Amino acid sequence: MPRWIPPLIAIVMGIALGLVYGWVINPVQFVDTTPNSLRADYRADYVLMIAETYHANQDAGLAARRLAIFGGDTPAAISAQALQTGQASGYAPNDIILLQELTRAMQAYQPVPTVIGGKP
Amino acid sequence: MKGFPWVSLIAIVIGFSLGLLYAWVISPIRYIDTTPNTLRADFKDQFRIAIAASYASTHDLGRAKARLALLGDADTSQALTAQSQRMLAAGEAREDVQQVAQLATNLITGLAQFQPSATVQATVSQVTVPPLTAATAAGTNTPTVIPVESPTLESTPAIIFTPTARPTHTPVPTPGAPYVPVAQDTVCNSNLTEGLMQISVVDKHNHQIPGAEIIITWSGSEEHIFTGLKPEIANGYADYIMQAGVSYSVRVGESGTPASNLTAPSCTDSGGQTFTGGLHLIFQQP
Repeated sequence: MPRWIPPLIAIVMGIALGLVYGWVINPVQFVDTTPNSLRADYRADYVLMIAETYHANQDAGLAARRLAIFGGDTPAAISAQALQTGQASGYAPNDIILLQELTRAMQAYQPVPTVIGGKP
Repeated sequence: MKGFPWVSLIAIVIGFSLGLLYAWVISPIRYIDTTPNTLRADFKDQFRIAIAASYASTHDLGRAKARLALLGDADTSQALTAQSQRMLAAGEAREDVQQVAQLATNLITGLAQFQPSATVQATVSQVTVPPLTAATAAGTNTPTVIPVESPTLESTPAIIFTPTARPTHTPVPTPGAPYVPVAQDTVCNSNLTEGLMQISVVDKHNHQIPGAEIIITWSGSEEHIFTGLKPEIANGYADYIMQAGVSYSVRVGESGTPASNLTAPSCTDSGGQTFTGGLHLIFQQP
């Protein structure tokens, strides 16, 4: 057997041990997660809360700000995803209506631009 | 130590280090499909605000309880009370603070006290709780742990929902009656701040009410204070410093019955010294 075979086998064993230790025995602990890592149904339920509030106060700006907790996507996209999840999950018809109402509002919502500084 | 496989040992250590580097740095375990109880504290606060706002719209206490339970707080009403106090201290929107405090109160009392509009009430009566997964209902919502290189929500398998029994809609009770003053005592204690007006707000079951707005008026001026900022005394406690010789009127909420003609009393201590005493008022919802 060539002399380089045993060290190679040892390295492979070491890598395997390292992976087992790092992934199984002592994996990286994730706490303090962010909302965009939530499971889809929890995200949809959060959006439903926003939809319920929006139905009562018709405040599209507030709804958009609260949907921004998920970051990344636009409020309309977040709301549309929640609507899809709700439909796929068998949400009650009234909940679907609320999500549809919010989605329409977010699609039509135009944030008021903030002017920084003086004249353009 | 002739014959000891030093080379193999060093190779194993190198390999182990490489494996650890890959597992911890290059491709660490990524948590996806997490549950709300793993959220960072400030995001949990945002969730509570959303739950309280939703509850203010729907008056569905059962649904609000189910949602709060997902956050994993040991005492949900206490968590809401503490959050309302933090929000008050941070000067956040009064409406948000009141909604959070009101939900805390209603969790304690078990009653919904918002005044629903006719439109919302008509809708709420048909709303049911969204389906929770079997894992959620069973309280075993452990995050799925999948070692992947570039996890995205789109790449996760489709979620299979198991229909579960849904809580029945919580009926909307009649809104709470305005608070009325039920007790007024003179407090002559030289150890207390002079002119201290101590106010306690309780419901009809004598539960302390945090987040209640107290309106103090005098000589054309007005001050608004809130209960709950001194939880070390009581959740329904607030206080105010009176000026000697000024007549105050105090009520809880805009529609509360006022306690009028309140003045800081003049007291005498054991040494015969005169000092300005205080008052203790109790307001209760009948």
